[in-house]
Amino acid sequence: MTAVAAFVAWIGGAVILVADGRRGLALGLGLVTAAIAGLAFAAGQHAAAIAVLAGGAAAAALRLRSGPPGWGLTQPGSTPRIILAIVIGILALYFATSLSTGDGSPLRFAWLVVIALSAARLLDCEEPATALTAAATLALGIGAVASLPPAAAGLAAAIVAGLVAAGISALPEVRPHGA
Amino acid sequence: MEPELAVALPAAGAAFAVALRPRPRLALILGAVLGAGGVAAVLLATPGAASNLLGITLSLSAAGRSMLIVAAISLAFVVILAPVNAERSALLRWGLAGLAGMAGIAAAPTLEVSVLVLLALVVLQATVEGGRPHARRLRAPAFAVALIGLGLVFARMAGPPVLERLAAVGLVAGLTAALGALPYMHEFDADERTATSPIPWIAFVGPVLAIVVITRTHELVPSAAGAVGAMLIGLGLLNIVWGCVAAWRTELPGAAWRYSFIADWGLAMCGFGLGVAEGEAGALLILYAILLTRLPLYLWSRQPMRERAQTDRPVNLLVAAALAGSAPFAGFPARILLLRAATSVFWPFALVLAAALLLWIPSSLRLGRTMGMPKGRQMAGIAVALAFSLALGLYPQPLLLLAGR
Repeated sequence: MTAVAAFVAWIGGAVILVADGRRGLALGLGLVTAAIAGLAFAAGQHAAAIAVLAGGAAAAALRLRSGPPGWGLTQPGSTPRIILAIVIGILALYFATSLSTGDGSPLRFAWLVVIALSAARLLDCEEPATALTAAATLALGIGAVASLPPAAAGLAAAIVAGLVAAGISALPEVRPHGA
Repeated sequence: MEPELAVALPAAGAAFAVALRPRPRLALILGAVLGAGGVAAVLLATPGAASNLLGITLSLSAAGRSMLIVAAISLAFVVILAPVNAERSALLRWGLAGLAGMAGIAAAPTLEVSVLVLLALVVLQATVEGGRPHARRLRAPAFAVALIGLGLVFARMAGPPVLERLAAVGLVAGLTAALGALPYMHEFDADERTATSPIPWIAFVGPVLAIVVITRTHELVPSAAGAVGAMLIGLGLLNIVWGCVAAWRTELPGAAWRYSFIADWGLAMCGFGLGVAEGEAGALLILYAILLTRLPLYLWSRQPMRERAQTDRPVNLLVAAALAGSAPFAGFPARILLLRAATSVFWPFALVLAAALLLWIPSSLRLGRTMGMPKGRQMAGIAVALAFSLALGLYPQPLLLLAGR
């Protein structure tokens, strides 16, 4: 169950890295949300799972309101991003399973891919909707680090992460003066 | 309940100031009242005492509390003696939003929650209409959040010591990126409004964030304290040299001011990196001086810079002396403390630091000239900023005691 959730987290992050359309971004955010909520549920943090699910689902739904239309999953120029998503996945797998020890490698893998893929997307986007989606994903990733074992800062961190993610998606897109 | 009020009241003040934009006077009064309430809550808070009214444990450290108080004084001073072309209610609006975020960062129970608050602040700032595209304004500070996040992930992993070192790299790199110091300088447009430019990160939010990240890093990766110190000192020296030389040689005066903030941050990083009490006290004094002197002086230099007015009057030399850290201004005891700390840790470093301190002279003389020929409110503002610097230089102990040093 946790391994599947971790893989879904990578797929969701990869979709956010590759997608340029609002549907693709919302799909990626939804997958990441489902994965993190699943991991929290599997770790016994049921309330945290619900908080992340609520915040992430709201963020994904709000993303459908604005941004470039369509899925935008295989736009010209997306090949380097697909390769980057695979490289980040392999590196995260190495850190989560080979380098670190102890139980919970799917959890570690999920943390790493969600944060690294959203960071990569932040560095490679010009559209406000894409940047805001990456920031919302980042909030969910950091919330997962805070609310799941071994940190287990509790429900509060998950609620803050959910609120921040939903709040980010609710913000209007801003264009520079004269644009 | 003081930490909760310290976050909620300035946030409410900022929200009211936004809602009452068409009525700037009312927005100013309401924002000021709520902001003052928030500052009172910070003043009444007992350092280290936890409060759990909302299901989340909040507490303010002595250093974080002192930095919040100084930031509030700086904001009040800038709003009261606002530069001629700046709208007071707008300054208060963004200042209160920043103050609420800083209180949240300082009072949060874990670094993860602090970073989430930082991310919210980053996104809010990028949402304000500005000259640069939204995604580009979001990029650098949000990337900083991601770096800190990766550092946190590595800190949570059990395994070989390299993981703790990777955590230290992520946390220090993230802090540097959040500040906009080298090697992660934010994109800067000298003509951009201060609220939407990278200046708030390096000059207003940065000091509280640095205290929180550095304190939490020592707790999260205690065995990597040496690596953290070495990275901070290395980055600090790089920022000192680059910042001072660039502030002296760069073409645009606005960019020169930005580099001068970077140079000051280099000193503060060296102070924190030394890992001894005197170094940390010196670093704190540098941060107080950024909030009370360099930031207000930068704001009052913007209008003369637009008019390309440069003068060499006594007031310009006084400003240059304060910015260069000469006696009896705030930078002087900070530099003395840093040199003493460096001597006690590794004396050759004190020699390097002493030589580097000379680099402040040419850049400060240049920045002093950018104040033009101050008069009226600008002159009053400069006089108060210099008075703060003088008071901090002559009597640094009260603020250091407030920070628990």
